[in-house]
Amino acid sequence: MSAVTTSARASRARIFLRHETVLAALLIVALFGLGLFNDRFLTVDNLLNQGRLMTEIGLIALPMTFVIITGGIDVSVGAMVGLCAIVLGYSWKNLGFPLPLAVVFSLAVGAAAGLANGLVITRIKVPAIITTIATLTLFRGLAEGISQAHSVRGYPDWFYFLGQGDVFGVPTQLLILIIAIAVFGVVLDRTSFGRTLYAIGSNETAARFSALPVDRVKLTAYTLSGLMSGISAFVLVSRVTTTRSDMGMGYELDAIAAVLLGGTSVFGGSGTIWGSVIGLVMIQLLKNGLALTGVKGDATIMVIGVVLIASVLIASSLQRRRE
Amino acid sequence: MRNYLLTTAAAGAFALAMNSGASAAGWDGADDLPTSPLACDASAPAAPAAAKPYDGGKAVNAPDKASKEISLVDVPKLIGIGYFNATSKGITDGAAELGNVKAKTDGPTEAKIDEQIKFIDNYITSGVDGILFAANDPVAIAPVLKKALSKGIHVVGYDANSTPDAREWFVNQAEFNGIAKAMMDSMAKEVGENASFGIVTSTFTTPNQARWIAEMQAYGAKCHPKMKWLETVEAQEDNVLSFNQATTLLNKYGDKLQGLFGMTSVATPASAEAVTKANLCGKVAVIGLATPNAMKPYVHADCVKSVVLWNPIDLGYAAVHVMRAVVDGKLKAGDTSVDAGKLGKLNVVNGSEILLGPPFIYDKGNIDKFDF
Repeated sequence: MSAVTTSARASRARIFLRHETVLAALLIVALFGLGLFNDRFLTVDNLLNQGRLMTEIGLIALPMTFVIITGGIDVSVGAMVGLCAIVLGYSWKNLGFPLPLAVVFSLAVGAAAGLANGLVITRIKVPAIITTIATLTLFRGLAEGISQAHSVRGYPDWFYFLGQGDVFGVPTQLLILIIAIAVFGVVLDRTSFGRTLYAIGSNETAARFSALPVDRVKLTAYTLSGLMSGISAFVLVSRVTTTRSDMGMGYELDAIAAVLLGGTSVFGGSGTIWGSVIGLVMIQLLKNGLALTGVKGDATIMVIGVVLIASVLIASSLQRRRE
Repeated sequence: MRNYLLTTAAAGAFALAMNSGASAAGWDGADDLPTSPLACDASAPAAPAAAKPYDGGKAVNAPDKASKEISLVDVPKLIGIGYFNATSKGITDGAAELGNVKAKTDGPTEAKIDEQIKFIDNYITSGVDGILFAANDPVAIAPVLKKALSKGIHVVGYDANSTPDAREWFVNQAEFNGIAKAMMDSMAKEVGENASFGIVTSTFTTPNQARWIAEMQAYGAKCHPKMKWLETVEAQEDNVLSFNQATTLLNKYGDKLQGLFGMTSVATPASAEAVTKANLCGKVAVIGLATPNAMKPYVHADCVKSVVLWNPIDLGYAAVHVMRAVVDGKLKAGDTSVDAGKLGKLNVVNGSEILLGPPFIYDKGNIDKFDF
């Protein structure tokens, strides 16, 4: 770590050089730039709609931040979303659960799936990337097997309120995302749980020898990942009014991209919820703004890729400056 | 103890995962609609059925743009495959011929419904006059299409339908039972009435494929009862996956498999390639829906005898003409036919579907005449 100076100017400079600040500045520049090119981009209607659409990835990106801070990764989140969606539909339609119970059951399945990930990673000590690649296939296969390719439709109207309704003009799921961001942010910043996450990511052995509950914290992080996947699945099914076994495919990459864009180091030990949120918003608004400006789908993907690479370069150069 | 639990759980999960091919019993087209198999003999597909009341949606407060220029966006299931390149060409040709239509094709690079919804959502925000679509999922696409209708945007589907109230009209390339009859009859002609076959499709819930398979099962039960349906596998409109799935079927059933159906324009050439690579040309028949260009090498090598399709360029052409007719007020709820430029008058069937015509069979004799 760099030598600590007490000069106020030096610490102000350090704030400006933080990854999150640079990213936030880039986001504001991008917003205004895209708004200039297209007059429908900066409307309240459009922005709220984008908020609605980014909730599913956002809910997953929050625990993903925790997981990556500990130096691990979870690529099975997309498959967990698919599994929870199928379980929701299947338990309601085929097992006859009342719909609220089916929702709770699917959340429980999501948490159990995350717990399974965590147990394999902490007890059997299989590296996170290998475990979650394996469970990715496992959960997706389970989803296909349980659903037997049937999709479940015909939910009652109140069920769609979460995915398609508004509360005081704000999309319902966006409110849930905002609450989740606040909770996760406070937990990471202000609790010992959050500090343990950073400690594990910086140096797991030292954390263990400092009598920190390393295994318990990692287990909780992965379980949270599963639980939030379940909530994301609930929002998704409510938004598209059907369940399909291929739901959630590719979500893991979108969530990881948002988290890495936000400045979380893939080696663990640093990162913030606010960074992940800015990363999430940046990707969503870039995709939306470019599409509204008339850029076609394939070009948009290239731009997102370039932005991601640029962000990782900036993050690593800032990290080198700090050291 | 923990290891034991985990291994049992994994074993159970793998057992379930192995089951991911649908078995022959009880295929309900994944959409619970009834099937209506055609007659077994060679009579032509029936004339338009008795008129069903109009069941399409309605654009709310659509601005009156009769005879004025309109801008359309076409959002197919995915872009970058020959079939949708052809429909896109048809749309461009139709737009050029009409003169007052600006049409653009844009869509996801993979056949994912979530991505397609986002594309349509963005175009609603940017304010197009009309949306043409081919849905990846009939129910999931409905909310965003209804949103388009509520904002006064006209919605016409082609190739793959949504729920009827989410769009104004749907251009159906051929009747589902007509395609089923053409496919099953071709297979029976090539490998006989006692054959066993497998099916390679996109996903089990893609609307058009699901309906075709349901109709094929009903028609097979009625007119080719001795033909055995072994398994259906998903291949997501992906080339490599289709090839792998077809090869898996060939390896799994060996001699017991005499025919493969390809239900998408990606699955059929991939299945033909799998059969060629396994040196089973002539022993395993490949029948399917595909664009002529993709199948020319296999048809000329006598690996594939016939390809069932319609003309996707005509499909796109018809879709854009239907959209123009809707905007001009020339096609309203309750009409029984619509004028589609060089295609002449197309009939309205099933309430709000417009029929392109009977399916077309491409074989060695005529496949070289087409270039798409």
